Amino acid sequence: MSLFAERLRKGKPLVLPLLLLVLWQWLSGQGPAYAMVFVPAGQMLAGIDELLSSGELGHALAASVSRMSLGLAIGAGSGFALAVATASLRPLDRALTPVLNAVRQVPLLGWAPLLGLWLGNGEPAKLFVIAMAAFFPTLLGTYEGLRGVDRRYRELAAISKLSPWQGFVQVSLPAASPNVLTGVSQSLAVAWMAAVGTELLFAAGLGLGTLMFTAETGARMDVVLVCVAVIGVLGYTLSRLFEWLAHWLLRWRDAVST
Amino acid sequence: MNKPNGFVAAQAVSLPWPVRWPAWRSLLPWSSLTVPALLLLVWSSLSASGWISPQLLPSPLTVADAGIALWQDGELQGHLGVSLSRLAIGFGIGALGGLAFGAALAVSRNVEDYAGGLFHLFRHIPTIALIPPFILAFGVGETFKILIVVKGVFFPVAIAAHDAVRNIPRGYFEVARLYKLSRPAVVRHLLLPATLPSILTGLRIGLDRSWMLLVVAEQIAAENGIGQMMEMARQIFRIDIVMLGVVLTGVIGFALDRSVRQLETLTTRWRR
Repeated sequence: MSLFAERLRKGKPLVLPLLLLVLWQWLSGQGPAYAMVFVPAGQMLAGIDELLSSGELGHALAASVSRMSLGLAIGAGSGFALAVATASLRPLDRALTPVLNAVRQVPLLGWAPLLGLWLGNGEPAKLFVIAMAAFFPTLLGTYEGLRGVDRRYRELAAISKLSPWQGFVQVSLPAASPNVLTGVSQSLAVAWMAAVGTELLFAAGLGLGTLMFTAETGARMDVVLVCVAVIGVLGYTLSRLFEWLAHWLLRWRDAVST
Repeated sequence: MNKPNGFVAAQAVSLPWPVRWPAWRSLLPWSSLTVPALLLLVWSSLSASGWISPQLLPSPLTVADAGIALWQDGELQGHLGVSLSRLAIGFGIGALGGLAFGAALAVSRNVEDYAGGLFHLFRHIPTIALIPPFILAFGVGETFKILIVVKGVFFPVAIAAHDAVRNIPRGYFEVARLYKLSRPAVVRHLLLPATLPSILTGLRIGLDRSWMLLVVAEQIAAENGIGQMMEMARQIFRIDIVMLGVVLTGVIGFALDRSVRQLETLTTRWRR
């Protein structure tokens, strides 16, 4: 009985998805209007096959990921640099923090129409939005990490007669690194969202968002759904990969504490 | 009278980092308004200098004028009202649904077994990617915009509610049972105070996200709303209206965030 109960428990997570799939397939047979939204399984597979064999999906995917990576590198890099500068120099902090806070209040993609006018709807505007998205989480993480460095550590650096640069590189930065990495991981998530968002808004060129947008205007729900799935899976994979990387980068902490 | 030695030593050390204000700092007239004032000054002098065409960078006054003109037409209030009511309806549905589902997920083994997997699957789909399928499924009307807001709010709130309920120490409930508290009393004196702070944080994150999502959804497909106002202005190259929209979405986002933060400090005050 207990074995049976155990089997039943394992099967439970499958019940709802299976029911939904059955409902989906049933709805798709209820006339052409339904079939357009609830794409039948056969057409879905044909759509996937078409996207894969034409290479359309691969190209869009590569374009989105490389665009996101470049934007992330620019945004997180400048966020890190500026956080180091503002955390190190109080006058700069007092001067810049209010400006940055003001900029941050506007919802990220609320900037899109203005940037579209200034930079056009090509690559620069997209990169700018992605970089801006990636900028703030890394900035905040790094800043908080650096400001939160234990005073005793900094005193130790002072007593050891380290120069400001040495004190920063050898003491403050390692102490702040967990916060920095948390910031970058948030940057990664937001940058991926921003990449898809800008490709939807500036629907020109290659990219998953653009592919989705053209599929939407052509009422190709199968293509749209494949894109949604790919975007979800890729976002999840990227964040898990980064989590793993951060864990690996911080492995020295376990060695120190034991 | 004698301070311990270590204390004296710590006081004597001057830290190499961060760098302090230089001694001449007191000569500068400085306040939190200095930088915004400077920015405004730079902005207006740039647009007055004629280096940048007013088509690309209208002066602050032009932007303000555009705002006043739209307000007098009643157009601006219309857009703002429509956007905010979409946000309110979607937020209400998403927050209530998220609260109920998150709490159920934390309390009931069955809910977790049956729906947990799907919940975690859907929560990893960026809401912004759902705009095209929602448009295809529900058309470009109100439903799709409200559903996008609902999706944006539901998941952060559900996760916050789930974690909050899960994190209540079991002992609290045992104490409640010992005192023979009635069910409403348990909710009022245990459940609410224990979960409210983190739920409010979830609500704030959800509100933040859904405001941005709504502005995007309105840019992509809408007949009105602040996002559509900006998109329309972009198409007819009215950069003053676009800038007005950017400032307004920022101010609204800030005000929403601030008000929930205010609630957070109000509800956590008793803890201290």
